[in-house]
Amino acid sequence: MKKPYTIETLNENAVLVSFGNIINVDVNKRIVALDQQLNVAPFLGFTETVPAYCSLAVFYNPIQVHSENPDYETAFQFVTEYIKIKLTGEEIEEKDSRNKVIEIPVLYDGEDLEFVSGQHQMTREEIIEIHTSSAYHVFMIGFLPGFAYMGSLDERIATSRKSSPRTQVPAGSVGIAGFQTGIYPQSSPGGWQLIGRTPIKIFDKQKSKPCLFKPGDEVRFYSINHNEFNKLHEY
Amino acid sequence: MSTEIIKPGLLTTLVGCERKGFRNIGIGSGGAMDRVAMRVANYLVGNNDNAAVMELHLPAPEILFKQSYLVSITGKGFEVLVNGVAVPRWRPIRVTKNAAMSFDIKSSGGRGYLSVKGGWRAQDWLGSFSTHLGVQMGGYVGRALRKGDLLEAEEESGGEKDGIKFPWAISENELDRIYFPPNEIRCVKSIETDLLSNESKEIVTSQFFTITHQSNRMGYRLAGEPLYLSQRMDMASSPVDFGTIQLLPDGNLIILMADHQTAGGYPRIGSVIKADLPKLAQLGVNGKVAFKMISLAEAELLLLSMEKQLDEIKSSCLQQISRYSIK
Repeated sequence: MKKPYTIETLNENAVLVSFGNIINVDVNKRIVALDQQLNVAPFLGFTETVPAYCSLAVFYNPIQVHSENPDYETAFQFVTEYIKIKLTGEEIEEKDSRNKVIEIPVLYDGEDLEFVSGQHQMTREEIIEIHTSSAYHVFMIGFLPGFAYMGSLDERIATSRKSSPRTQVPAGSVGIAGFQTGIYPQSSPGGWQLIGRTPIKIFDKQKSKPCLFKPGDEVRFYSINHNEFNKLHEY
Repeated sequence: MSTEIIKPGLLTTLVGCERKGFRNIGIGSGGAMDRVAMRVANYLVGNNDNAAVMELHLPAPEILFKQSYLVSITGKGFEVLVNGVAVPRWRPIRVTKNAAMSFDIKSSGGRGYLSVKGGWRAQDWLGSFSTHLGVQMGGYVGRALRKGDLLEAEEESGGEKDGIKFPWAISENELDRIYFPPNEIRCVKSIETDLLSNESKEIVTSQFFTITHQSNRMGYRLAGEPLYLSQRMDMASSPVDFGTIQLLPDGNLIILMADHQTAGGYPRIGSVIKADLPKLAQLGVNGKVAFKMISLAEAELLLLSMEKQLDEIKSSCLQQISRYSIK
């Protein structure tokens, strides 16, 4: 059975479709499916969507929606109905075949790898083995341009954020925080435990599609050595 | 021939229209804090909405024009001086070769917009000239302007004769519809509004909040009586927008501004209506904010009437520009 959803106003140019307040891959897949549907078949006045863990914001130009649909008292009412219809047809559309598996090379030499292995009483090799053994789901992109929140991390290596964030985390750093893992697309302050770094540019601001990931993608990490890292280096 | 930044000012950047369609990869719309002043600055010199404009904050820059230009300055809280003499804001003016422009602070708040006919030459990143400071793209090589930077206009707008009085301007009365009363900031409900405690629901609209020093283009942090939810909640990160009012764990509010992140984990207890964002942008540090809740239908109508007013300003400016056959 489908879990209930709500459609509420974020403000006068966006509604938020929520499927509860939980972090769960199946819930997120519904968000991604609805997101794809709306982008494939947008209404007049639609501007953009923002998929998050368990909610999807749908942005629109209320003036245009209004003039296209004068029978509705507010643009919000029209947009809500439009989304409801999309959600009724959800079962047929729910597929994630468009999403790909992306493989990311990582040199596991992160500054916090020692701390993480100490915390879980495992060797560094065991941490790496566990981190590279599952495929991670991209839940959403936010915090920084191109920062993908991925999960869920094996609970054997789940580690809380650093109590005091670093003022500067270099671009390409691979970190973990709670049950999540992610890569810093730009250097920025950050509190995730750093376990390695990738030589691949996951966010290339010179490209028209700057971000390697999109919500719904699957990501796998594989371990590389220093030589391979230097060969692949894109920064 | 160009325009030189003699003193950089606090945070002078080139801004254009909103950057649309990239929030899903964490890139917000950015752009001008006061989009009305920014757009009107463009209209006054015959530009379209998207031309790059210089956004300046107080303390403001000093600018040397090395050739003659048609420019206009809009915004609040300052006086504009050309070679030490005050010139009007909210109307087109001709600056002549070697004119030095400076700004005199009149109030604590405010920010200004300097347009030039044709727009300032700027880097287009993902469909907008707006500077993205985080990624360092757009605008003037992705950064704030510094001393010695040279800017070019996209068009020639010089004239031999200086001191021509252009007979069109935006009157203070016209602007009152947008900027008056200055402290009344109207809001609509947002996702977690109903989760505020009953007492906090009263407080939020019955007191003045003060914009603190920890405020910038990303957000305004407010000081006031602390607010609480009726019950504690842990939120999974969820989308936000320019104007979203978030409740921080310490009970204080933050209003997200033009350079906000695309999602956040704090409860959204309201949203400043789009039609009052220009007004809010002109309230600076120590400015007072009084929230007033209105319905969504009212907010939509207010946005509609603001856009209508801007369209009228635009078309009358274009008419005037063509009448004076300003190249």
